[in-house]
Amino acid sequence: MTSDYEFIGDFVAVLSEHIMRLAEEHGGYESIRSVGISVSSGNFKTGCIENAPNLPWKGVVPLAAMLRDQLGLAVALANNAYVMALGEQAYGAAHGMRDFILVSLGSGMGSCICCNGVAHLGSNGFAGEIGHTCVNPNGRECGCGKRGCLETYTAARGIVQTAVELMAESSEPSLMRQVEQLTPAIITQLCEQGDALAIETYRRVGYMLGVGLANYASVLNPEAFVFAGQVSKAGNWLLEPACESFEQHVFHNLQGKVKLVLSTIDDEVRNVLGASVLAWEVKEYSLFK
Amino acid sequence: MSNTVKNRVIGVDIRMDHTTIAVVDQRGNILATDSFMTIDYQDVNNFMTVLSERIVTIAENNGGFENIRSVGISAPSSNYLSGCIENAANMPWKGVIPLAAMLRDRIGLAVALGNDAHITALGEHVYGAAHGMQNFVIVSFGHGGLGSCIYSNGLPYLGTSGSAGEMGHTCVESGGRQCGCGRQGCLETYVTDRGIVQTAKEMMAASAQPSMMRSLETLTSVAIAQCCEQGDELALEVFRKTGDYLGLGLANVASVLDPEAIILADLPDEVFKCLIEPTRAAFDKYVFRNIKDKVRLVVAGLNNNERDVLGAAALAWTVQEYSLFK
Repeated sequence: MTSDYEFIGDFVAVLSEHIMRLAEEHGGYESIRSVGISVSSGNFKTGCIENAPNLPWKGVVPLAAMLRDQLGLAVALANNAYVMALGEQAYGAAHGMRDFILVSLGSGMGSCICCNGVAHLGSNGFAGEIGHTCVNPNGRECGCGKRGCLETYTAARGIVQTAVELMAESSEPSLMRQVEQLTPAIITQLCEQGDALAIETYRRVGYMLGVGLANYASVLNPEAFVFAGQVSKAGNWLLEPACESFEQHVFHNLQGKVKLVLSTIDDEVRNVLGASVLAWEVKEYSLFK
Repeated sequence: MSNTVKNRVIGVDIRMDHTTIAVVDQRGNILATDSFMTIDYQDVNNFMTVLSERIVTIAENNGGFENIRSVGISAPSSNYLSGCIENAANMPWKGVIPLAAMLRDRIGLAVALGNDAHITALGEHVYGAAHGMQNFVIVSFGHGGLGSCIYSNGLPYLGTSGSAGEMGHTCVESGGRQCGCGRQGCLETYVTDRGIVQTAKEMMAASAQPSMMRSLETLTSVAIAQCCEQGDELALEVFRKTGDYLGLGLANVASVLDPEAIILADLPDEVFKCLIEPTRAAFDKYVFRNIKDKVRLVVAGLNNNERDVLGAAALAWTVQEYSLFK
């Protein structure tokens, strides 16, 4: 458990022990080329975790350098969206694509842009903050301090809020009313059971998602958007209204040309595979050669 | 095998009204220019004949045709990947025109073609405000619309079918103004010359406030900007609103791309002066906090007359050399 380690030093010590043991049990430490890490708020350019809101370690943590010191091997680190994109490009839905955007939908909304076959990380490594593009200047308040950010509509909390608003707007009976703690997964289940209000919830969410993605596509002309993360498990309940709204809002040159697809790999497998792609790409280095 | 290096290229800037040809050397010095009216030639074949004659003449008069390495062309609605002008809305030639291939056949040299935003970005990257930048966005107000070109990891990013950068057609107002593209609320319906004029008209109609704009014979963005300089309240309000839309549009692009700078090109100086402050304020309001204060909003470094021929020349250097006469 990551959360068992309040101090990053302890965490790195345990992590390197685990890595060494696992390596020894599977072909020997000497055959390990390098290590790739996927972590939220990780910055590939600096190798640091930078001001992660959801991890116990505050400030800027030079995780890649710390692990390299412990292991004596090259270590690369990147944020989840980047690693997901690498995983999908190497082994999943984006295989063979040069220009695509991986959209990660979960408690927040992140993305990674792949341009000309390589990831576009931006000048400070912050590129891809699609969740914080503004879709409604007077819209919902976001944790980032702005209003109307796309993720206030399309990430987990926003979806629940949309459901709550819908229930308040009408007196229509709905199974959602009996649920104490609504989550996107529960709303999806209720969609499967034919609950009209639950379906309407995803229709509204999909509409906003389509608007946000259309603006993004008009600027970037990607081959596809690939969706990953928990919220994307809503599948067609979300994707169909999103596609419809996307086609309505995208620049006409691109109409019908951009694919919106779901990730084809299981979340955990993809992230580990993606991190391994990252590891293969970093320049080899060893203390022990 | 020749041991000499050809040290010049031709840059061609095709615009709706006129076409400019320049001979440019390796350091970006414009050695000579020539221009003629584009609109005189409704038939693209006649246009090509004149263009190639002019290119040969200007080359012969400035160091000889044999020293020309290649030709770069900037034209609206061009696709670099196909070398064609594709369905240009504002040009006399309809459909898909294989301009690069046509010119190559006539003059026997390699020809590269790019659209105006791509060329503007190249020009600024090689010789102007974006020199040395790896990740930046050029926003071009030329040709009546709003185009952009994105540089990613030091290279222009053209998108999977060559149409990336249609920033003018991102939606900033759901259910807003009708755009020529068929959608509503596109950014370019608010921030181009035509959009600014429309905003001014709407504001004048909505209030009885006295304004110098009311006595203008023809409203243009430049004229409105001049009213601002004299302190006209309503004119200032027009630019405040325009800047709010532009700032929102730029902030969304910046949040996604994390560029070093956004460079505004082909904007008249008067308009830039009035627009930059409200745009900056709106940009700071709407951009993601990580990126705030890290993105420069700057005006293009090259002057509007030279930028596109220089950009076209820069494009010419990137194409592989080819000659019928070697």
